[in-house]
Amino acid sequence: MHSLTALSMPALRWGGDPSGGAPYVYADPANPQSYTGFDYEFAEALAREMNMTAEFVPTDWESIVASLQRKEFDVIIDGFEPTEDRAREVLFSKPYYLFRLQLSVKRTDKLIATLEDCKKHGRTVGTLVNCAASRLLDEGGYKAKAYQDPVAAYQDLEFGRVDAVLMDVAGEMFYARQNPKLKAVGKPFKTGAYIVGIRKEDSLLLAKVNTAIERLINNGTVERIFRKWQLWDEEQIKLRSTNQPVFEMTNTKLNWSEGLIKLLKAASVTVLLAFGAMMIAVTLGLPLAFGQSNGGPFTRAACTVYIEFFRGTPVLVQLLFLYFGLPVIGITLPGWLTAIVGLGLNYAAYESQIYRTAFKSVPDRQWQVAYSLGMRPLLAFRRIIFPQAFRIALPPMTNDFVALFKDTSTAFAIAVWELATAYRELANATQSYLGIGLVVCCYYLAMSLPLAHYAHKLEQKLQRKSTGILSSGEDK
Amino acid sequence: MIRITGLCKNMQNTTLLRNVNLELESGKILGIIGPSGNGKTTLILSLSGLLPFDQGEITVGNKSISARESMVNSEALWEFRKKSGIVFQHLHLFPHLTVLGNIIEAPMQVNHKTKSEAEHEAIQLLEKLGITQHRNKYPEELSGGEQQRVAILRALAMNPEVLLLDEPTSALDPMRSGDVRNLLREFAHSGHTVVIVSHSIRFLKGIADYLAFMGKSELIEMNTTEKLMNYPYDPRTKEFLRHSELN
Repeated sequence: MHSLTALSMPALRWGGDPSGGAPYVYADPANPQSYTGFDYEFAEALAREMNMTAEFVPTDWESIVASLQRKEFDVIIDGFEPTEDRAREVLFSKPYYLFRLQLSVKRTDKLIATLEDCKKHGRTVGTLVNCAASRLLDEGGYKAKAYQDPVAAYQDLEFGRVDAVLMDVAGEMFYARQNPKLKAVGKPFKTGAYIVGIRKEDSLLLAKVNTAIERLINNGTVERIFRKWQLWDEEQIKLRSTNQPVFEMTNTKLNWSEGLIKLLKAASVTVLLAFGAMMIAVTLGLPLAFGQSNGGPFTRAACTVYIEFFRGTPVLVQLLFLYFGLPVIGITLPGWLTAIVGLGLNYAAYESQIYRTAFKSVPDRQWQVAYSLGMRPLLAFRRIIFPQAFRIALPPMTNDFVALFKDTSTAFAIAVWELATAYRELANATQSYLGIGLVVCCYYLAMSLPLAHYAHKLEQKLQRKSTGILSSGEDK
Repeated sequence: MIRITGLCKNMQNTTLLRNVNLELESGKILGIIGPSGNGKTTLILSLSGLLPFDQGEITVGNKSISARESMVNSEALWEFRKKSGIVFQHLHLFPHLTVLGNIIEAPMQVNHKTKSEAEHEAIQLLEKLGITQHRNKYPEELSGGEQQRVAILRALAMNPEVLLLDEPTSALDPMRSGDVRNLLREFAHSGHTVVIVSHSIRFLKGIADYLAFMGKSELIEMNTTEKLMNYPYDPRTKEFLRHSELN
């Protein structure tokens, strides 16, 4: 029950990402209607200290700064770190927690004891998108793979898709410490700070937040909260002792030439995904089409189930299933291969329907003529039926290929570094959505336009053969 | 040479052919007449080996197939199909191939002739019908008459023993033109057999050595063209002929 005073108090609307957000802010497993987490408790305490009511606005981590600018909420409280590029867009409060990074590896791993070992042995380190750890790996030139949420990162460490994971101690504590298959190696290192992010123009709010944080630190509220989450350590003493504690600010200034090369690499992954998947789709679509129209009752049913399953469920879900589900039965494919196989299996269902329509539209008499000329079924199919059906199937197949090109962006869900993922990461890291966005669109167009052009040419060439002008005048 | 004995064909409780018996020596042209829907097309489809039948036996040259053999794609059936060439009413040329391509496709793919060999033979055939200049065109660029000539040449290029034509007069005047008739006659006289299904007696009169009349799924009578036209035996044949003359 809210009291009258509580209702009349102004709201402190704060934004955080609750998906994969433990232990910062996440849906309370005991009571899924409400949220919990140390940032949740901190936000509640902060609002109370400011005589306001905390109002949580769930948002997406990657676009959290953009959402703040759009005034969806007034402050960011979500393990938010100060960086140089964010400083251009956001005001930083005093830190309320000092975090460090922790490296985890498989329990059986005897090789890696430090981050340097990863570099020395060419091992891949997983981390979260756009955080202190990812920037550190980036600057240091480590082989890295960035994930949307910590669960996926640690799961891939278990499956051996990455060799180590570097993350904030808070995440490591919550997701990896209890896992018997993983272990933490080395001491936590590289101190960073969690701060409250505030819009540039709200300097008045900043002052109030800072005063409140100072009081929460000094009256022991912050310590109580973080002790409860087992995250209080000796490092936090620094919060109290100095006004401006010492922490390192990580930096992500976009180096354009480097960015373009990164995008180019991502674009080549996109091409690989699209062509690989299409190859599977056009090949597998053929037996599916035949099975469905000419098979026995069992084959027919099996093909129909396959087709309806892949057409009736989202490709994103299929990819997640392949990526996280298959390892359970011992099949662990790397992300890019999962994307090729997943998209290929999905599009095969669509291609089969195109083939079916195309073959149906070639008259039965064409088979009979071929047979009467002594051709066997395989030869008749190859030389007579297929070329005619192909001409009918080509335009819809081209459409599908262009659609597939765009669908490769779903691979971001399984941490494949293709063009759309690259865009999200680079743009979010630098807040340059427009500039990088234009470049990314140019890359996509540079790939799809020649394709469409070539397909159009081919269509025209084939079309000419069947709709030539009637030369009735030349009859003898 | 063609021999048909006791041929029966049913489809979904409908009798399409009832005990058809027929014999034709080589070098002759047979016309099959009768109202439409009385089994003429069914008969030549069975003759070509493309349509399974229920009873009886068909012999073309030195190859025979039984009813049982006609139902599954056996080696015997594939060999039997090679014995005859068929020209459908609607021709069904291969739309993705040129005129030349239509004619040389089977000789190259089935008989493994070289391209130049197959082309050389095709051009000799095209010359006979005066359509050599169209050889690089696609079927849809041709008139109906030209398409029909190509369909005939496509069948002849495989050098079949028997040529079957289904309702060729629907493609109209080319069958009246001398060169196609000459070609068919020349083909027959060189020891082959031609069977033409048509409802037009006027057309068959000028080309067929024999006429067979089909009515109600049965082969009612067969005789030389001259005799069948002038002295029909069965009242149903008489009726049909009288009707045709009125038209």
